[in-house]
Amino acid sequence: MTESNVVDLLAVFPDLEPAANAIEHLRSIGVHDDCMNVISGIPVTEAMLGRPSQWTNVPRIAMGGAALGFGAGFFLAYITPYLYPYPIQLSTQSFIPGPPTVVVLFELTMLGMLLSTFLGVFLDSFFPNYRPMKYVPEVSDGKIAILVECPHVEEKKVTDALKKMGAESVNPAEAQHL
Amino acid sequence: MAYEKKHAEHAHAAHAHGEEHFREKHLMLDPLPRGQMNDMVMESMMEKPTWKFWVVIAILSAIVAYGLVYSWAKMIAEGLGIAGVNRPAYWGIFLVNTVFWIGISHAGTFISAILRVFKAEFRRPFTRAAELMTTFGLVQAGFSIFMHMGRVWLSYWLMPYPNQRMLWPNLHSPLTWDLLAITTYLLSSTMYLFLPLIPDLAMARDRSTGWRKNFYKILALGFRGTEGEWTHLRNAMNIFAFAIIPVMFSVHTIVSWDFAAATRPGWSSTIFGPYFVVGALHSGMGAVIVVLAVIRATMKHMKYFIRAEHFDAIGKLMLIISMAWAYFFFNDYMVQWYGGDKWTKQLLHFHEAGPMGWMWFAMLIFNIVIPWAILWNPKWRSTPWLVSIVGILINVGMWFERYIIIPVSLTINRMPFTWRLYKPGVEIPLGLGTLAFFILLYMIASKLIPLIPVWEVQEGQMAHELKKFGRETVVTVSELE
Repeated sequence: MTESNVVDLLAVFPDLEPAANAIEHLRSIGVHDDCMNVISGIPVTEAMLGRPSQWTNVPRIAMGGAALGFGAGFFLAYITPYLYPYPIQLSTQSFIPGPPTVVVLFELTMLGMLLSTFLGVFLDSFFPNYRPMKYVPEVSDGKIAILVECPHVEEKKVTDALKKMGAESVNPAEAQHL
Repeated sequence: MAYEKKHAEHAHAAHAHGEEHFREKHLMLDPLPRGQMNDMVMESMMEKPTWKFWVVIAILSAIVAYGLVYSWAKMIAEGLGIAGVNRPAYWGIFLVNTVFWIGISHAGTFISAILRVFKAEFRRPFTRAAELMTTFGLVQAGFSIFMHMGRVWLSYWLMPYPNQRMLWPNLHSPLTWDLLAITTYLLSSTMYLFLPLIPDLAMARDRSTGWRKNFYKILALGFRGTEGEWTHLRNAMNIFAFAIIPVMFSVHTIVSWDFAAATRPGWSSTIFGPYFVVGALHSGMGAVIVVLAVIRATMKHMKYFIRAEHFDAIGKLMLIISMAWAYFFFNDYMVQWYGGDKWTKQLLHFHEAGPMGWMWFAMLIFNIVIPWAILWNPKWRSTPWLVSIVGILINVGMWFERYIIIPVSLTINRMPFTWRLYKPGVEIPLGLGTLAFFILLYMIASKLIPLIPVWEVQEGQMAHELKKFGRETVVTVSELE
């Protein structure tokens, strides 16, 4: 489908139940899951809406960050003492003491993990994003919005289906500055 | 027949009355439309400040200007000599305040992360108020360390990078652990404050105009609430909730090692790590309850969100933590006393019968006697003004505890000819400056940031319902995640 052949419809539902029913109905009339997106003011799980699981890279990015943090800790705790022009060896004390190294490794691993988790949300959600977007502010008042992408020729059929399932409003979605 | 009908009507009325009672008591069973809750939170934030608000802001600003700016500048100009730290107490109020503020910061993580992990539902309306304390408390802890450093402009020497002499900071030193632990905790807790705030910032963006609209628009990052955004956010919050708990424990444990790793009388103790962590929670919870009481009393609509049940729940936690603190205190005291080391015995005697003995006894009264005497009673611990007084006293008691552990304990060492009681100088205005700055930051934040996580409250209200088991009506919670 080319851009001109499709239209985005934004349907606003008063509650979760009619929104979940509408999704099921849309699927039954041939709208693929990939062509729908649900916008809500609270974290509604995929299971509640009967939607396929959402993919997220956040845990993987977090693990990657933990590995990087561990690497940074390893460098600071194990490598930097050797980088002195005159490495300092104190009597019988170990050159790289074990327990203090655990502290450094722990803190930097956790720092790496948490920083990358935070970064992961930004990367996966494309934050910050200040471009115009398809949205209805009623969502933050507890309404559930379904954004449906459908061919122009099916616009009426989908609109009717959404209204039949209890949508308070169904309008062509227009990108606007939030 | 008439009797049965009357009985049924009576039962119905009693049931309705019971439900009403539950609704009054529990926020989670007293839902309002989301839009109305949004309006309430926005009104509380955007309400025109009264003259009293501005007077308090002016007083706090004056204290910050004198305590934090002028006094610090004076200390930088004249040197650490104007502070009271000197042989044998090289560590004074600066480090007392560092430990104190890190302790305050523990409340946010405890309430937000630990209670989230254990699905304690009462946490929902005040997680953000507690998380803000964490971030602002850590800022004061950072200031206190920099004050202690003296030549603060050289603080970058602590940063791990090679300088012209090819010297790296010794990352195996306890003081560098502090740098790593506090930096990790400050960054983590700030991110953990921000992530659940994004949906509320989006809500504020949708309902504001003018400069506020732009402010919230920038901070909301373009959040709409799509399935993907919520999934990423939920995953990240789960990771944070689990991972920040060991970080929280590590911070105060590492702070305790600054003392325990030294073979000094009174300090060399294997129990200092958990003892400090429990102490931090003790003062942190005390501070949370004070903040909640102030928010409830001064901000519009907060009586709906923060109720007696929340004070009751936090009061119970405070009582348990007070008992745990008493246990660790006694454990630490007992082993040192039984050890019979000459200098340790001198120190313990000095704590109780020395010139600062009043502080030692006040510490025990504020941290143990008063909380136990008041918090056991459900009615008393549900009374905001009373329980917040207990919170203030616990904080005074915990500050005394840190004062006794640091400068008072440093007075007695193995060289009696150096014994000298610490007398603070410029530390007092500097310390007051951090306290005023903390309150000032909080007051400003209360006008800019939605203090109630509305989406979390709504999520909780969706999960709660009343259910009848036989004749009894009980509260049930569904797991929505």
